[in-house]
Amino acid sequence: MANGDAALAPQFDDAEQQRTASNLGIWIFLATEILFFGVLFAAYAITRVRFPEAFAAGSRLTNLPLAGTNTAVLVTSSLTMALGVHAARHGARRALVGWLGLTVALGCAFLAIKAVEYRVDYLEHLVPSLDFRYAGPQADQVELFFYLYFFITGVHALHVLIGIGCLATIAVMASRNAFSAAYFTPVDVTGLYWHLVDVIWLFVFPILYLISRS
Amino acid sequence: MTNRADTRPMVYIVVWLALLALLAVTVGSAYLSLGWANTPLNLAISVTQAALVMLFSMHLRSAHPLMKIIAVIGFFGIAILITLSLFDVLTR
Repeated sequence: MANGDAALAPQFDDAEQQRTASNLGIWIFLATEILFFGVLFAAYAITRVRFPEAFAAGSRLTNLPLAGTNTAVLVTSSLTMALGVHAARHGARRALVGWLGLTVALGCAFLAIKAVEYRVDYLEHLVPSLDFRYAGPQADQVELFFYLYFFITGVHALHVLIGIGCLATIAVMASRNAFSAAYFTPVDVTGLYWHLVDVIWLFVFPILYLISRS
Repeated sequence: MTNRADTRPMVYIVVWLALLALLAVTVGSAYLSLGWANTPLNLAISVTQAALVMLFSMHLRSAHPLMKIIAVIGFFGIAILITLSLFDVLTR
């Protein structure tokens, strides 16, 4: 198995052990990412329990059509990523590059829609510290909601940006024939990261945008 | 073999359609006045969506047990963090 396998690092017995080690590494990293966002979710839960009305009022001011569209975009990018890993597993280079390109495009679309959303928020005077105006009751608590809104969505957008950078790198490597059916660990590992960023958004979306719309 | 069990592309497409359908349900439910039930319903849908992505797209279903344990530890950590923090806030 190991004979002439250029992709096998010397510390591993075989490709299987190497792959398991890489997967273990990325899963430990993903667990720390879950905990990192977990702290933000905990901050959100505590504040929301204390100021439920203000959080409902703040949530109604967020832009659901744009955020809903963005959720669909990110979920779709998860599909193209999964199909990319599938192509890599079968050594289909052209299909792999195509799926990675599509995933990068969808990631960029997500960030573009996010930017439009932030602009709308700014025009509606909803950006704390910079320009926040709210005429209703509990204005300070509504502002607190928007601090969390910008921090959580901002950190998530940063993760999407990093993911786009990794995917673009992998796409260039793939186009230079760096991967084969026997070795595609970087594609696999980047895919796992991209899916996790999607999973985190699936929680961010309802807690910020869907508190009380009726 | 670890993470080598092949998933057919059709599975990913079915997962994608399920995720979009659940998105429609969770957005739609936000416009219904369900009282206290709105948030648990939204979160239950999120958990279902996350499980679909992690089990099928991230191949956790066929992964090495070690990966499964680590993924569970991450979510278990959050659960402890949020639950114990809320114990404090809610019992002041």
